[in-house]
Amino acid sequence: MAIHEKALIEDERLQQHDELVVDGVDVSGHWNTMIAPRTVRDYDDDFEKKIQGFVGGENVHRCWQCGSCTNSCTMYAQNVQFNPRYWIYLTRLGMKEELVKDKDIIWQCVSCNKCTNICPKDVKPEGVMKALAHWMEEEGITEKAPSTIFDEEFADQIYKTGRIEDSKVMQNFFKKTGQPLVQDWMKTFVFRMMKHIPVKHLMAMGFNTVHTPRTKSWGKTGEVLKNYVREQKEAAHG
Amino acid sequence: MQDTVLVVGGGPAGLSAAANVTSAGYKAVMVEKEDVLGGAPILSGYAKLVPSGEWASEAIGRMVKRVEDDSSATVHKGAKVEKLDGEAGNFTATLTNGETVQAGSVVLATGFTHFDSINKPEWGFGTYEDVLTTTQVEQMVASGKIACPSDGRVPERVCILLCVGSRDRQIGREWCSKICCTVSANMAMEIKELSPETDVFIYYMDIRTFGLYEDKFYWKSQEEFKTKFVKARIAEVTSSGDGRLLVKGEDTLVKRPIVIPFDMVVHAIGMDPNADNPEISQVFGVGLEKHGFLERAEQYTNTCGTTRKGIYACGAAYGPETIDDSIAQGAAAGGRAVADLHALVQKAG
Ligand SMILES: Cc1cc2nc3c(=O)[nH]c(=O)nc-3n(C[C@H](O)[C@H](O)[C@H](O)COP(=O)(O)OP(=O)(O)OC[C@H]3O[C@@H](n4cnc5c(N)ncnc54)[C@H](O)[C@@H]3O)c2cc1C
Ligand code: SF4
Ligand code: SF4
Ligand code: SF4
Repeated sequence: MAIHEKALIEDERLQQHDELVVDGVDVSGHWNTMIAPRTVRDYDDDFEKKIQGFVGGENVHRCWQCGSCTNSCTMYAQNVQFNPRYWIYLTRLGMKEELVKDKDIIWQCVSCNKCTNICPKDVKPEGVMKALAHWMEEEGITEKAPSTIFDEEFADQIYKTGRIEDSKVMQNFFKKTGQPLVQDWMKTFVFRMMKHIPVKHLMAMGFNTVHTPRTKSWGKTGEVLKNYVREQKEAAHG
Repeated sequence: MQDTVLVVGGGPAGLSAAANVTSAGYKAVMVEKEDVLGGAPILSGYAKLVPSGEWASEAIGRMVKRVEDDSSATVHKGAKVEKLDGEAGNFTATLTNGETVQAGSVVLATGFTHFDSINKPEWGFGTYEDVLTTTQVEQMVASGKIACPSDGRVPERVCILLCVGSRDRQIGREWCSKICCTVSANMAMEIKELSPETDVFIYYMDIRTFGLYEDKFYWKSQEEFKTKFVKARIAEVTSSGDGRLLVKGEDTLVKRPIVIPFDMVVHAIGMDPNADNPEISQVFGVGLEKHGFLERAEQYTNTCGTTRKGIYACGAAYGPETIDDSIAQGAAAGGRAVADLHALVQKAG
């Protein structure tokens, strides 16, 4: 039978041949529409551990699916697709493809921690939301969040020079996130600052912006630091 | 003058009843149909007991030794009661070994029968070698090694199916066997201890780790031993064709069918009424309740009573029961039986 209510079925599960004749009967197009079964054929036993390696995900294995987190959730009240209980379940059994389907909403958690306060098993669902969002960024499933880009710029400068130059961090951050390099608030900020700062200071600041000196005897420290951070990350996330 | 209590059944409940009778200064005669005392935990070779964590052979072994070393207790093994004449205060029991026993009161501690998984053929027991029951895995754990019977490999993944032979109208078993959730949570930990690389899944409808078993077994199993609990009643266990088993069902939380490969499937078998109960009911003249367990008298003022005066009961004979509670009930039933004898002494003046 032809299937008309396709809106209820995920696109990738609809299977249809444009031209098909079976036993001499033309069943082209929607006359041969089939729906791929939604059977779960395996679990990914290592995925839970992976998410536990991200900050906030440590207690995910404690969940017993009572639904208190979802019930209390600020975002669930806005959108019933936002369901921390469900995502925690998928995480536990390693149903990654299902999680990825919700990639555009998981990050919307507002960190109100209502879930954390109500969870009887102390799972800290808010942390799990954060861990999932970070995992998705790391895997390239979602774009990097502006905060992640900022963090990376910040860290990069430290590795290079052992110090940060605020204006440079801001400029590079704006560049990478596609924002105008000069913004109204900055003009006001700089203008007011100039009124109060001694000329000698201003000149030093200007010089540093152009020249960006390294911290004395920084040497290979940046390299070592970078390697250390990478090792720590690998140890945690595999 | 009657100074003897007849105790039928030498499991945890009966052993406790007998010890209580003799410690009050009376005599106990125990009749056990098997050739060894100890009941299910010994006969089926359980591993570590819930909740003490002691090996069954040691813990129940102490109970057996206490009765066997007791000069006031007489034990008839490999025997049953064939006939019971007389009445409260003055019973005469004829045993299948030809002996007769005079007793003032009787304690029935005849326990339960394990559910036979053959009665749920869709779950693969008897068809696939790697489908086992909790009693078989208890024995495996006690022997110190977890391996698939088919080829001896260490399983990567084990699943335990709860409520096998319990809570199932289709097979006329409308009771919860009470201890199998806790036993299964404990077993998952034992498996993990023996084989840390094995992942254990428990498929459940409800988790009933009542009272203090909640955190000590359920939470611990989940949190420290990473047991995964999945809410699904399995429909079918089949073969994958490559030496593994496929477990089919519906994951009720994601509303999706599941077909998951496992190396070993364990049935958490329930506690049936003792298969001897119709016979016991006839020989002792006691009633059975609707499921086939011994009928309990009004409990508030006739504790551990049956439908017949002078005959008491305890433990799993009444319905699914834990070892600790069977032992407590055994002591209580022994106390009731002794009180009857004591009343006779007073009446005789
Ligand atoms: C797999 C499994 C694991 C379990 N593990 C635990 C655990 O860890 N902790 C816990 O608390 N509980 C456990 N239990 C429950 C435990 O087995 C029971 O609580 C306990 O055995 C009940 O003791 P009982 O003496 O009443 O009965 P039984 O242990 O059944 O003893 C009854 C005795 O009576 C004898 N008998 C029966 N009929 C007759 C007759 N007609 N004449 C003479 N003798 C007769 C039997 O041979 C037997 O020796 C487990 C149960 C199962 C199925
Ligand atoms: S409140 Fe806690 S235990 Fe309950 S579903 Fe949410 S995370 Fe799981
Ligand atoms: S912290 Fe996030 S998941 Fe938790 S209640 Fe708030 S919005 Fe929902
Ligand atoms: S104790 Fe658990 S496994 Fe056993 S019958 Fe009850 S609910 Fe089922």
